[in-house]
Parts: sequence; C-alpha cells; structure tokens
Amino acid sequence: MSNKIVLKADNLHKHYQVSQGIGKGKAFVKALNGISFELEAGKTLAVVGESGCGKSTLARQLTLIEQPTSGELFINDEATTNYSRRDLKELRTEIQMVFQNPYGSLNPRHTIGYQLTEPLDIHTTLSKEEKRTKVHEMMKHVGLRPEHTGRYPHMFSGGQRQRIALARAMMLNPKIVVADEPTSALDISIQAQVLNLFMDLQDEYHTAYVFISHNLSVVRHVADDVMVMYLGKAVEHGPKEAIYNDPKHPYTIALLSAAPTVTGHKKELTLQGELPSPLNPPSGCALHQRCPYAKPICSEIEPELREWDGRLVSCLRLEEIYG
Amino acid sequence: MTTIETTTIGMNSLEMNNLKKSPSLLLDIEHLSVVFGEGARAFRAVDDMSLKVKPGEVVAVVGESGSGKSVTMMALMGLLPPSATVMAERLNFDGKELLTMPAKAKRKIIGKDISMIFQNAMSCLNPSFTVEMQMGEVLTTHLGLRGAAVRQRLLELLELVEMPDAKNRLRVYPHQLSGGMSQRVMIAMALACEPKLLIADEPTTALDVTVQAQIMDLLSRLQREKQMAMVLITHDLGLVAQNSRDVAVMYAGQVVENSTVPEIFETPAHPYTEALLQAIPELAIGQDRLNSLPGVVPSQYDRPTGCLLSPRCPYKEPACEVPPPILDTPNGKVHCIHSSLPDHPTRTTQTATLESET
Repeated sequence: MSNKIVLKADNLHKHYQVSQGIGKGKAFVKALNGISFELEAGKTLAVVGESGCGKSTLARQLTLIEQPTSGELFINDEATTNYSRRDLKELRTEIQMVFQNPYGSLNPRHTIGYQLTEPLDIHTTLSKEEKRTKVHEMMKHVGLRPEHTGRYPHMFSGGQRQRIALARAMMLNPKIVVADEPTSALDISIQAQVLNLFMDLQDEYHTAYVFISHNLSVVRHVADDVMVMYLGKAVEHGPKEAIYNDPKHPYTIALLSAAPTVTGHKKELTLQGELPSPLNPPSGCALHQRCPYAKPICSEIEPELREWDGRLVSCLRLEEIYG
Repeated sequence: MTTIETTTIGMNSLEMNNLKKSPSLLLDIEHLSVVFGEGARAFRAVDDMSLKVKPGEVVAVVGESGSGKSVTMMALMGLLPPSATVMAERLNFDGKELLTMPAKAKRKIIGKDISMIFQNAMSCLNPSFTVEMQMGEVLTTHLGLRGAAVRQRLLELLELVEMPDAKNRLRVYPHQLSGGMSQRVMIAMALACEPKLLIADEPTTALDVTVQAQIMDLLSRLQREKQMAMVLITHDLGLVAQNSRDVAVMYAGQVVENSTVPEIFETPAHPYTEALLQAIPELAIGQDRLNSLPGVVPSQYDRPTGCLLSPRCPYKEPACEVPPPILDTPNGKVHCIHSSLPDHPTRTTQTATLESET
C-alpha cells in the first residue's frame, strides 16, 4: 500500500453570515473552527458527531462546493484556495461525493444511464460506445443490471439508488470520495449491503474515503482513522482502535456510551442538556456546560488539540482525569 | 444487562396489582390483517398478525421499513384511511372489542387509555399553536379540566418529562423547541391522561444519540413509575436489548418470530432474525465484511407464494414453497418450517478473511 497523502486539510474555518432580523445587525455561525487532517490513498477517515457539529459543512469544503473562510485544502499536495474555475473543474474529477438521501440526490427526470454518463460527458472525450461500456461495467460492479440503464430513479429501491449514487461518484475513478451519511436513510439489512459495496470498491480502486456519520458502529466497521467533532472543532482524532477501545475525551466517551448496544451495555457517562447554538457558542471549552468533569477553568480557556496516548485530544483536564 | 432486570422487577409487582381488576391481557390482537386497495391491486400491509401485551409490560416490535409495524398500531388506533380494510379475529383492549366499537365510544379510549408517540415530534406538533394550547386540549377533552387546573397539570407534566425551564415553555411555539424538547412535549402529551398503554413508534429515530439516550431513559423510567404497558416500535435492535423483555420480529407484514430478550440475541430461531443480527456492524467487529441478505423486501407485485423470506433465505428448501406453519420454540414462536435454525454451509462467520485489511 502506498502512503501517499491525497487529501490534507490545514486549519479549515468556515463562518456563515446570518441575519438576525431587521436592524439587529449580522452574526456569524462558526460552522468550522480549525479542522486539520491528512488522508492517505486507500484509507478511510470517519468524521463523527451529532447534528449541528459541522460534519456536512466540512464535506462541502472538501468537495470544493464552497470556499473555506480561512485555512488551506490540499488535494494531491496542491493547495486549492487560489485555483481558477477551470482548474477547479479539473480537480473535481479527483474528489466526488455521495449524499445522504438517495431520494433527493438523483434527478427524477433523467434515466440512470444518462446520470451515470454525465460525468464522462463533462470530463472526458470518450466515444459514445466507450462511454456505454464504462457505464455498463460500473453498473455490474455495484450490483445493478446493465439493462436497467433506461430506467428512472423512482423505479429503484433506496438501497439500489444509493448504489447508483455511488456508481456515479466512482465513474471518473476519483482518488477521494466524500460520503455524507450514505447509509442513514437505509434499513439495516440494506445498510449492510451498501457498506460492503463501499469496502469492495475501495479495495478495487484504492480510493480514499471521508466517511461522515453519526452512527458509531457503522464507522467502526469502515474506518481507519476517526475524528470526533463537536461544535465545529475536532475533540478527538486518532486511529480507530485507540478511540473505540480507550476513548479519552469526555464527549467521545459520552457518544460511545449513549449508543444503544445489543451486547451488554456500560453506561459510563451521560451528558446533560443538548448541543448549544453555534450562533452563540459557550466560552472556553464548548462542552463545559454539559461535561461532568468541567471545572471553572474550562469556561475560560479554550483547549487545543494535543498529543495524548497515541491520538489527539482537546481537553484541559486530561492530566487530572487520567493522572 | 441491568436495565432488563429492573424492568422485570417492576413488572412483577405490577402484575400482582393488576390481577385483581384487569383481565390478564391488556392488548390482545389475534389474526389481524390490513389490506390497502381492492381486487388485483390489493396490497396486504399486515398479514395475519398477532400480538399480546400484558398490563405494565414492554413489548418491542422490530422490523425494517414496510414490514407493517406502524400500520398495525394505526389499525389499533383507528387512524388508517378509508382505503384500508382491517380484518381481525380479535382486536381487544382492556376487555373491550375495538373492531366493532362505535367511533364515539372509541374516541373515549383513544388518546386517554391508549396513547401514541410518533417518530417525528417536530412535525407532529401543530406549528400555529403554543405548547399550552395543544397540550391543554387533551386535558379539556378527556378529563374535563378547565382554566387554572389545566395550567397546573401541564406544569406537572412538563416537570415529569424533565423539561428544562418548564414554566416558560408553555407559551412557546413548536419551532422554538429543539428536537429533544419537542419529543418531551409529545411524551408529556401522551402521558397527560395516565394511559394504560403507550405506543411509542420509533420515538428516538429523529434524535441524536446523546439525546436519544436521555429520552429512552425518561421513557423507561416513566413506564416503570406509572406501571403502564408499552409497545416499542423500532428498527434498532440496540434499543430492544435495553428496553424490553418480549420481542416480535416483523417481515413483510408478518410476525416471523416471537421471543424474549436476551435469548433472541443468543439463539435466534428465524433466518430473518439471524440476518438482522448479522447485519449490525457492532456484532461484526473484526470481520472484513458484514453478512447481508441478498435482495430486498418483496413488494406488492413480487410477493412469493410460500414463505415470504424464501427468495432471500440461505436455508431455502422445496418445502418453503407453501406458507410455513407457526411452531413453538423454547422462547416463543417462529413462523418457519424449522423450529430452530438448521445447520447450513453458508452459516459461517467470516473472521478468517482478515488478511486484506491488514
């Protein structure tokens, strides 16, 4: 396996301006607050967090749909912020996306064949015949019948649609696929089929995945590295084994113990209350109002990510908690 | 599995209480079928379904979308559209037959003795009325409370469901509440008349995991304290493991297996139950791939003649071409030609194929 880094984010920030009503001025939602990571070819980075933590904003920055407010994104070691539109178009062949809702992400008025050919039309100069063979091959790869190219999305089930969405993302053989909650709209037995397909395609094409999910057990199955996000920041980031077997950040521990399990359950930590508004984030550590370990210092100083026991953790009180 | 033990203890003391006055079954559904449409286009959403709930007991109904779990409960509540035909041998609640009961009498029970929590609390609350107005309606209609008494009871209810800052929440509109708080309002509304049976239809599906944990803790605490029976409809086997004692697994409108927790996780009797368990990523740690059933749930047009699972089942035999019998198992019942899972070459765990990952 090569260890080439295909995707690197360096201190990404994204702030959205929102209006608070007439005459009340503007405010900023700090959706991303300094996200950094590196992703190697053929590996999977899982991004986990609850709704409102900035996972989907991150996906939009990575897939070049939006420009980050500050920070730099490197695809194949090239910085992307100052790219022209034309260069960006070329770059988009390298990074593709699979969306959460396969009922909304496929155009209901185009056939599957058309939607799978479209990436080839835009980015390649293949002949009609070559395109057709490519589409048929890809359909077989994802477990669909090639003779179904003339069908419309409504004729497929949710699981089949997600296969089509994945096939469309893989058409140009991208180096990176960003999948935003790709299985959360699917039933559990269908979810298993789609997850297996993701992994089969990764083995075959050596694609790197950024896999965004709120479901910890799905992530555990597919990920190599895990990044846990809370209110626009990474609170813990490291190899899968470290984070699942021995989570260190109170939020990670709470997430893991909150998920209902079928094999005996250890409820180590329950958080109080709900996610604070990103419009008006708490001072200091964003978790301090819900964290059972919080001390007065946590509301004053904002913790930074630091090395701890084989992963990065942002918590002020690690020394006191773990000695 | 401490949660299960506590549930059992709560149930035993309660059963003794209830034996004096109530019949031994609170809810008794026998051979219920729901058909949408007529003639050749008729679609059997629920097919010969039976479910029994004792007072104060929690029963989980598990299945994927389209398995008929919600339609069953809608039929019970009488909430189905006129295009649906409901047939049953028995649809008994608390000794009364709901199927033949006039609508007026039924309205006295629905919302009072049976109440329901829906999946998407955000869209179940009316956006144009304040929390006080819509919660108060239940109390006025069923209990005849007026004025200050309504307000007093509402405050008690909101405090019961641990609503933060309950006093000021009465005047707010649903859009001012978060998902977790809307679900708390729904629960408070469902509990307003102290129902004997609470139907929770995917109560936490729309919520984040940390909030889901809070809501499930709340629901099971209230269920124990109020000694009410609960039917928990869910697709999440994790919730079943933590919150109920009895389970019914549904597939394509039929109950394929009745069993108990934790036995169902250790010795599933139906191939579909086994497949559901194997598809959980959590139980496949260390495996390269998840075991999954091929294909999808049969639709209206490709319904097989015999066992409904047979086109997808790894244990399929010629005998599966006719509808399977309902057999007894050590822990319940199974809708299959075998009373326990047969040994089969495809039934191997894939732990040996780890090389490609490392």
